[in-house]
Amino acid sequence: MVTLQIALNNLLASRRRTLFLGAALFGVTLLFVLLLALTAGVTDNLIRGATNISSGHVNIGGYYKSTPSDSQTVVLNASQLKAEAKEALPDALRIIDRLRGWGKVISDKGTVQSGLNGIDLADESALLELLALAPAKDYIDNPANAEEVKGSLDALQKPGTIMLFASQAKRLKVDVGDQVTLRTETLKGQSNTAEAVVGAVVRDLGLLSSFASFVPKQTIIELYQFKPDVSGAVQIYLKDIDRSEAAMNELRAHLEKKGYAQLEHDGQPFFIKLLQTVPNEEWTGAKLDVTTWEDESSFLVQIIIGLRAISVFLVMLLAIVIVIGISNTMTIAVRERTREIGTLRAIGMNRGGILALFLLEALLLGLLASGAGGITGGVVAALLDAGGLKVDVDAIRVVLLSNTLHLVPRVFDIVLAVAALTFVSMIAAFFPALRAARITPVTAMQAAE
Amino acid sequence: MNRTRPLTSGLLAAAIAGVAFGTVIGAAPAEAAPSDAEIVDMLKVIDSRQQNNGDYRSTAYLEQKERGKDDTAFEITFFRRDFDDKLMILFLKPKAEAGKGYLRLDKNLFFYDPTVGKWERRTERERIGGTGSNRQDFDESRLALEYTPKFVAEEKLGKFDVNHLTLSAKDGVDVAFPSVDLYLDKITGNILKRQDKALSGKLLRTTYYPKWSKLFSESKKADVYFPAEIRIFDEVEKGNSTLIVMKETDLRPLDPNLFTKAWLESKSR
Repeated sequence: MVTLQIALNNLLASRRRTLFLGAALFGVTLLFVLLLALTAGVTDNLIRGATNISSGHVNIGGYYKSTPSDSQTVVLNASQLKAEAKEALPDALRIIDRLRGWGKVISDKGTVQSGLNGIDLADESALLELLALAPAKDYIDNPANAEEVKGSLDALQKPGTIMLFASQAKRLKVDVGDQVTLRTETLKGQSNTAEAVVGAVVRDLGLLSSFASFVPKQTIIELYQFKPDVSGAVQIYLKDIDRSEAAMNELRAHLEKKGYAQLEHDGQPFFIKLLQTVPNEEWTGAKLDVTTWEDESSFLVQIIIGLRAISVFLVMLLAIVIVIGISNTMTIAVRERTREIGTLRAIGMNRGGILALFLLEALLLGLLASGAGGITGGVVAALLDAGGLKVDVDAIRVVLLSNTLHLVPRVFDIVLAVAALTFVSMIAAFFPALRAARITPVTAMQAAE
Repeated sequence: MNRTRPLTSGLLAAAIAGVAFGTVIGAAPAEAAPSDAEIVDMLKVIDSRQQNNGDYRSTAYLEQKERGKDDTAFEITFFRRDFDDKLMILFLKPKAEAGKGYLRLDKNLFFYDPTVGKWERRTERERIGGTGSNRQDFDESRLALEYTPKFVAEEKLGKFDVNHLTLSAKDGVDVAFPSVDLYLDKITGNILKRQDKALSGKLLRTTYYPKWSKLFSESKKADVYFPAEIRIFDEVEKGNSTLIVMKETDLRPLDPNLFTKAWLESKSR
């Protein structure tokens, strides 16, 4: 208690030094918390986007190959597969199926390659909650009314409609009500087209928006000449998303037991397998492919890994600066306080006590400054998130997987940042403290004279 | 190397063609619609003229115009051995594309990229080099085998009198376009215009064959016909077009080991 009192007094006595070091620790912790909140926000965007736009928590996808080189993302007997999923995964909240296509969306002025998701709006309440109609300025150059919102999310109830993301509509130079042509190949490899009217243009959701558009199921059925009960994938939503991998393994085992032919697990999105992996395999016929949402968005997980790496690198760099700063300041402090150290040693404080005193000073400084930085960082992150700042740079949107800045300050992350920076400040103080502890009372007195 | 002889649609060519193919093209009176058998024969003539019993090699220039993109151009050599359905396409220019190629083995079309040293299986409908052309534009003609024809009408195509046919893909045949409209020169029997349609009936591309050439084949003991120029227009992505110009054609026998992956790989070493 006395040591704590002395440490606190020392910090207050060296107010300038304390403020300087404290400000550095405060700033680095704040930055660390903001970076962690940003990474958590991107992860959140990824999960929300991936599990609504392109995947369930667990998916039963599949491929049908009429020849070794001609493959299509198809599952036969979709209703039977839904029943199998229900049986294998009793904790499934929702089981839906979507038709998957891949082709060109062509307007008079542009072309985009896109995943064509055939959906039934009645099953897609979660998707509709995620999507928002885009204002004209998001996809039209110099619109008369920039904020005008056209179309309706219910547009896909009408046959022959398509819902595009704003970035796709911009590349196609189309507006709600314009007609586009969808072009792809049937299972037999014959070219086919369908006409569709743009029923809605929705706000982008980062990189995911580039790969997906939505049409009524019937459009895909006609484009690919599918028979009844053929679908693209059965998507399963669980109570706990963290159980996705375990659920996938359970489902794989269940389907194997029931005699379904399956592909070996390969943690890549279905469209990469469709374009690269599956056509290079010799088999023909139908095979199922059970995946998790993480598999289907693995190309996006790289963004999160990259963001984490940048965060850690930045914070480590700043931590090194802090270590050098604290270490130097402490070394100077030890020299300045040699007399005080001698006195303390003379009145009976042992070497351990001196070591503890300096470490405690660093601990107090680290805890208070990084604590303040952590809390401020959390508040700033929450305010920025609530502000919904729009991001106008395409490259940044791609990284953030969103059009707006989304930050998720988590208590765990704040505690982690505060603990890490406090630990760093103690490490920085360790060697100067050790030097102080090694000073003998006689040396200290002589130095003082 | 054999010298190619360009065919025109002039009177001389008409007379020659009329003699050579009179039984098919010229036998029926202009007013009477040809019978189903005669229409099938028209396709058989087109196929048999372009087939060579031996080997076939041609160097071609490909130019691709795509809306919103810079024009691209390639020089390729393609090789055919018709009796066992072999086809190879080797990219020669530009330098960045040199060494890339396609090889058809049995019913599989493989693509080789020397920059990664990997072979990938591609579909039969692969856009060659990303252009509007595909395998069928370089391969031997199989119209009679792949399609069931129907006579539409005698029409005018510019200054040419043509027979307009519609073709429907036969069941189980692997073709990119399930429905085709053909416009055959009434005098020469050559295809002047081809319109490829989607299953939905939408017109996807129009191809013009403004110039045909022929070469005498020692192995076939007859002339082999080939389009000296092909112009492909994308009808959905308006503004996209492909030009194919055959520069040199040679019907002499090719290296027996040419249609192998190893041969194509050796070209980029």
